[in-house]
Amino acid sequence: MAAKKASESFSKTLIEEVHKWRCMKQTGVSLRYMMEFGSKPTQRNLLISGQFLHKELPIRIARRAIELESLPYGLSEKPAVLKVPSFFYALMGLLLFSVRDWYLDSFRDLRSFPEIKDTNDEREFTQMIKAIKVRHNNVVPMMALGVQQLKKGMDPKIVSEDLDEIHQFLDRFYMSRIGIRMLIGQHVELHNPNPPLHCVGYIHTKMSPVEVAQNASEDARCICLREYGSAPEVNIYGDPKFTFPYVPTHLHLMVFELVKNSLRAVQERFMDSDIVPPIRIIVADGIEDVTIKVSDEGGGIPRSGLPKIFTYLYSTARNPLDEHSDLGTADTVTMAGYGYGLPISRLYARYFGGDLQIISMEGYGECSLLWFDHLNSCKIKVKL
Amino acid sequence: MAAKKACESFSKSLIEDVHKWGCMKQTGVSLRHMMEFGSKPTDRNLLISGQFLHKELPIRIARRAIELDTLPYGLSEKPATLKVRDWYLDSFRDLRSFPEIKDINDEKEFTQMIKAIKVRHNNVVPTMALGVQQLKKGMDPKIVYEDLDEIHQFLDRFYLSRIGIRMLIGQHVKLHKPNPAPHVVGCIHTKMSPVEVAKNASEAARAICLREYGSAPDINIYGDPSFTFPYVPTHLQLMVFELVKNSLRAVQERFMYSDKVAPPVRIIVAEGIEDVTIKISDEGGGIKRSGLPKIFTYLYSTAKNPLDEYTDLGTDDRITMAGYGYGIPISRLYAKYFGGDLQVISMEGYGTDAYLHLSRLGDSQEPLP
Repeated sequence: MAAKKASESFSKTLIEEVHKWRCMKQTGVSLRYMMEFGSKPTQRNLLISGQFLHKELPIRIARRAIELESLPYGLSEKPAVLKVPSFFYALMGLLLFSVRDWYLDSFRDLRSFPEIKDTNDEREFTQMIKAIKVRHNNVVPMMALGVQQLKKGMDPKIVSEDLDEIHQFLDRFYMSRIGIRMLIGQHVELHNPNPPLHCVGYIHTKMSPVEVAQNASEDARCICLREYGSAPEVNIYGDPKFTFPYVPTHLHLMVFELVKNSLRAVQERFMDSDIVPPIRIIVADGIEDVTIKVSDEGGGIPRSGLPKIFTYLYSTARNPLDEHSDLGTADTVTMAGYGYGLPISRLYARYFGGDLQIISMEGYGECSLLWFDHLNSCKIKVKL
Repeated sequence: MAAKKACESFSKSLIEDVHKWGCMKQTGVSLRHMMEFGSKPTDRNLLISGQFLHKELPIRIARRAIELDTLPYGLSEKPATLKVRDWYLDSFRDLRSFPEIKDINDEKEFTQMIKAIKVRHNNVVPTMALGVQQLKKGMDPKIVYEDLDEIHQFLDRFYLSRIGIRMLIGQHVKLHKPNPAPHVVGCIHTKMSPVEVAKNASEAARAICLREYGSAPDINIYGDPSFTFPYVPTHLQLMVFELVKNSLRAVQERFMYSDKVAPPVRIIVAEGIEDVTIKISDEGGGIKRSGLPKIFTYLYSTAKNPLDEYTDLGTDDRITMAGYGYGIPISRLYAKYFGGDLQVISMEGYGTDAYLHLSRLGDSQEPLP
């Protein structure tokens, strides 16, 4: 499968449509709106939702398809800067274009779906977007592999953080993906005849952050145990009865990542010690903010190293992708991967108006702070 | 003293000189250089140092004098600002009219002069604060003060420059001291123990809290007391004092009428290869994320402004638990002066953590705004 330009594999009219839809304005949806709308999943509302997605998804997908098409060529304008040998370049292009093709296929599926007029149309539409979501399941590792080729082929003297354009592209790209999958997932879930108590699609209206943190910590400890044979303790402070509306899977992912990193740092630092300092998690509920702090005594990193940890090209660990060629089945989560945990966690935090900040004390440990918008004001729209 | 334009009180040729020197390039000095140079305070070295300052100080002072005259929103015309500007012009004139430093006697006289200059500028911070206060009072209340970016940026540059000028002068003056304490080079302690400085600063802050509230939360300090590195103790003292003072106040106000025991303020001193980091954390209830940028501005304070009560700034020396809101922004400037930083993060409903990052290597050049 050679890396082809989009125009070679897809019809001219489709490409023109992609360019047209790419210019249309995106519409953001807030958490509160999703919650209020989804709490009454009547047939009428599902129809409205389906019709909205029928128009909104192609716009978002078209944008990303165009960006994917132009990225490798954009890079080719800086050969002197990047000095990437053609082999790595070609492989990167191949991988990026595979992802682009997924986006184009999905765009075509959406555009060729007829107008949604009744509940039957809406049900078929829901099946289709469910399939689209599955098609895109492996976007992250695929993109990571592509970017990896770039890193491998690059002149090592080039400082990763200088590749600002690529980082900004990946931030936009992954943020958009979070949004698309949220919209699709939410709509699909609303068809669930027996939703769990207090749940509106993916949103848990009474989510206990302490409980989610407990589960995520246990999962992270399991992995640490499996890989190192032991795992530091995780102590969680906060009111388990405090709840607020949020997407538990998102929070689980973020806390899991942060705790995983902390466990690894502490484990490696105190491996041969008798006394291992615990990871501490504090959950605070304020009026405007809900904050979760994850702190460790894993030795920290120097201040100069901090910007790097949010880039997509940095990891202090061995890249597991090199060992798993079949991305379809590789499912084991490892303690450290291709260095995406932190930047993507931050995107999830920012998606609903929150943030993730990491502060380090070199020689002591690290402190990660997750902020969430407690007020969930309607004024806050999701990041596009 | 009536509000006069510079040209009315100072000669035309002086003003021209100020503008000429204000355009000349500043020269930064690193902590390491100050330390190495100052460790051998021979007559010859003092002469070189004096000659350097004779050229460098007027450049830095001229820059600030020019800026003071061109501030936005009418800040330049406020009586307090004019007072400060005149101090800068007087000092510039003193420096420029001092003859060439040829021998050690010239150098000694020069040292006395710059010592006097430093004293003249002792109250610049509260006086400028008063000027800004005067501006704030006269402004449309609908204007959000924190948005007055230009003024904040000016004050950052202005105070950072002042730190540098006073550091250079102070260092030079101290090098003349005949029996310096061991390991001390001017203002720099080559074996400063941050744990020890933190202890002293904490005790001072607790004393003030006790005086004002009748009680004070405990402070626990964690770190190796025998760990040392070269730094300026007075700078660190000032920063830790400010941060601990804020933490104590927050905890005190939160637990004052509560049955619960006030949780202690915790200080952790960490030594890394690149940095020394000092964390001051409290459970004083924290501030919301949207309120965080404000704490670094010069126009924000959650407390009563003490300046309104003290008209004679020359004699007023009392430190209060909360003042005109300068503690945090100025602490950050001190941290940045030698290549460090101050970060404050907060958890609304829980507490605040302040991180002081100090560069251990000492190679950073002074920042020169």
